[in-house]
Amino acid sequence: MILRYTFQRLLMLIPVSFSISVVIFMIVYLLPGDPIDNLLRVGSSPEDRAELVAQYGLDRNLVVQYFVWIGNMFQGEFGQAIVLRRPVADLVAQNLPYSLTLGGLAFLFSSTVGMALGTISAIVRHPLLDRFMRGFILLGSTVPGFWLALLLILFFSVNLGWFPVSGAGGWKSLVLPVLTIGFGGVALVARVTRVALLDAQREDFVTLLHAKGLSSRTILFRHLMPHALLPVVTILALRIGWILGGAVTVEFVFGRPGLGSLLIRALGQRDYPVVQACLLMLALAVMLGTLIGDVAQASMDPRIREKKS
Amino acid sequence: MRYSTKTQLLSGSAIVAAGLLFSTAAMAQNVSIAFSASELGATAYNPVAASTLNTATSLIYDRLVEQDADQSYHPHLATSWEETPDGMAWTFSLLEGVTFHDDTPFNAAAVQSWIASYAGTENEYLVEAIGSVDVIDDLTVRFNMDRPEPNLLYNLASAFMGIPSPTAFAELGDNFGVTAAVGTGPYELQSFEIGFETVLVRNEDYTWGSDLSENTGPGHIETFTFREIPDQSTAFLELRTGGIDLLLGVPTDFLAILEAEANIQIIQMPGVGISYMPINVTAPPFDNILVRQATGMAIDQEGIVAAIYNGVGAPAHNFLISSLPEADVDPDLNVTYNPARAGELLDEAGWVMGDDGVRVMGDERLSVSLYTANTTELTRLTQVVQAQLGEIGMEAIITVFDSSTIRDEYRNNAHQLAVRSYDWNNSDILDWFFSGNRLGYPNVSMWEDEEGQRLNDVAMTESSTSAERIANFTAYHEYVLSQHLFVPIYQPTQNIAFNATAISVPDPVRGSRFRGQSFMDIQVVE
Repeated sequence: MILRYTFQRLLMLIPVSFSISVVIFMIVYLLPGDPIDNLLRVGSSPEDRAELVAQYGLDRNLVVQYFVWIGNMFQGEFGQAIVLRRPVADLVAQNLPYSLTLGGLAFLFSSTVGMALGTISAIVRHPLLDRFMRGFILLGSTVPGFWLALLLILFFSVNLGWFPVSGAGGWKSLVLPVLTIGFGGVALVARVTRVALLDAQREDFVTLLHAKGLSSRTILFRHLMPHALLPVVTILALRIGWILGGAVTVEFVFGRPGLGSLLIRALGQRDYPVVQACLLMLALAVMLGTLIGDVAQASMDPRIREKKS
Repeated sequence: MRYSTKTQLLSGSAIVAAGLLFSTAAMAQNVSIAFSASELGATAYNPVAASTLNTATSLIYDRLVEQDADQSYHPHLATSWEETPDGMAWTFSLLEGVTFHDDTPFNAAAVQSWIASYAGTENEYLVEAIGSVDVIDDLTVRFNMDRPEPNLLYNLASAFMGIPSPTAFAELGDNFGVTAAVGTGPYELQSFEIGFETVLVRNEDYTWGSDLSENTGPGHIETFTFREIPDQSTAFLELRTGGIDLLLGVPTDFLAILEAEANIQIIQMPGVGISYMPINVTAPPFDNILVRQATGMAIDQEGIVAAIYNGVGAPAHNFLISSLPEADVDPDLNVTYNPARAGELLDEAGWVMGDDGVRVMGDERLSVSLYTANTTELTRLTQVVQAQLGEIGMEAIITVFDSSTIRDEYRNNAHQLAVRSYDWNNSDILDWFFSGNRLGYPNVSMWEDEEGQRLNDVAMTESSTSAERIANFTAYHEYVLSQHLFVPIYQPTQNIAFNATAISVPDPVRGSRFRGQSFMDIQVVE
């Protein structure tokens, strides 16, 4: 049953991917600016311009350009960066590991710490702790990453000297960026976990379990957690794409390479092939995240796969 | 006994190992440097074709000649040179025993092939006056000129005239400077991650440094790691905490804080550019020269230096940096603050003061657009300029663009006023920004003028001697000033800061910029 559900979800990704690819392809043409202007020598003639436009295939019909582009994408051929003058695949391959490492660790941090804090705040009913948790969640959801990054640098790097201010050399350089990205995630996951657990605790079956004499711990871990995990999994899945793409400001402050930095640089130079490849990678991450979330939810809750299949 | 011997042996080995580790650490000298904000974004170490190069380029490639801070020229890969009296030929004697990093020899044939490689590139203008290059013998070349070029030595000393290995240049094609960069310089390119980091490793065979460095042999430092840190605050904190040893281009804001740090030393060098406000002469109301003149008189350069830059740097009153002789123009043509006169000129042009402090002409308000690029320094300066324009009754509405879009706006003639800056220590920058052949960008003023173009052509192509070139460019500069095409604002200094407990840096700095020759004398502090 779950395989059939997964197959159906994969099929649904085809029209979604097509729509996204059209949007990504078109969006860069709607931007002001032109990569050819970055390549042209100042004072070049219109003929020089036309030659360069033809060289990069930008003189062809947009529909033709789209199908050539998408065809190349299917073959893993990302093309040549116009301004950065390197194969786009090389640029992505160079930057993706940094993004995956940072994003993966931030994801792990926000899910584990967020779920732990959410659970504690749901089961330990102490007014002070409850107030603290609410404050923490509010702060985590609203504090800007850029500002938090600078605060962390000032405290942990400048005052305590524990971690480097910036760079991408060794595990120490990962700690502050992971904390910066993860902080918002911790608050979000904690909030969702807390609400889900509190809702689950009000269900009739919990009263029955208590009446049957099960310990609170057993009820929590064996019966409540699977219930509460459903919305948490949805939120976590959606954050996969966000973490990869949303690390731009963090990469900027900490002077780290990554997909976000590459995208921003390419946007500034209107380097279409790089922008398109980066956007496509991020869109794929979001789609995959959603798919993983849906499949995980379906495997945890038979009602979902029955309703949707 | 046996156990004791074994223990002693182990202890001895540990001490030896520790000693080896220690000595390796002492020898493994690595100096980390952060590029200045203006140097970020280089996409290749290719002096022939690149339009942006950073300081690391000057360590990979040597040049034929070097320029000192006093504008004098010194031999490097050319040991001497001779110009014919009519300026139509230059003969260069080359240094013997120089090899590229790929072990191919540097000789007259390499120079000939290098000059030819500029054809069709962005940097072709540097060798435009050279008609052909003759190989006289293995170590002598002659440049046969199409016209005299008194600026030739300046061009040859430029970072864009570093000499690449002809073999590697031909083999790598478009990848030259990206996957590998091969020159004769004191450091070899070990790795280059675009937008992040460049690592250079010492060329152990190097024995041909110029006399601008005390050390003419292999560099004292084993590796230089150049980092691109986009956020200036982060770069500043890296220096404070010892994450980097040298920061090229310290923002003026941070100088006072860095001066208070016991371990940080600051070197200030004369600036090589200015910040200014080009005026689009084709966009009303600036098609009226009186309005342009009044706009120039609204800007209080001295006040800006004091208020924004804490007195560091100098006010700019014309288009060239003050160390250039062509900046010495008729004082009456310099642009100076005079709001009262600005008001009179606007009255004369028909713009009378309105009730709300903005001038009007009939139903039309004196409201103009003011563009700038999205850098902290420029946006802050633009806000002050906006306020000062407001004082004479001109309402300026600021729009901030990224660097690519703003050039597009210039090309589309969509602008009126803009705040920008340039870095160039030669008077031919006037040709770059005011030639009628480059309307839109770089000629942001959109100025096309017959007399202006004639003076430009004379200065660029008809000067036979250095003195003649200075006179011609001064005349062109004065004419440009008389047309009120821009408002000069500020001449920044070049600020370099380093961690004095980690490295020593030569003092005084030789050369017009802090580049290769100074890096050769950097040493790790014992």
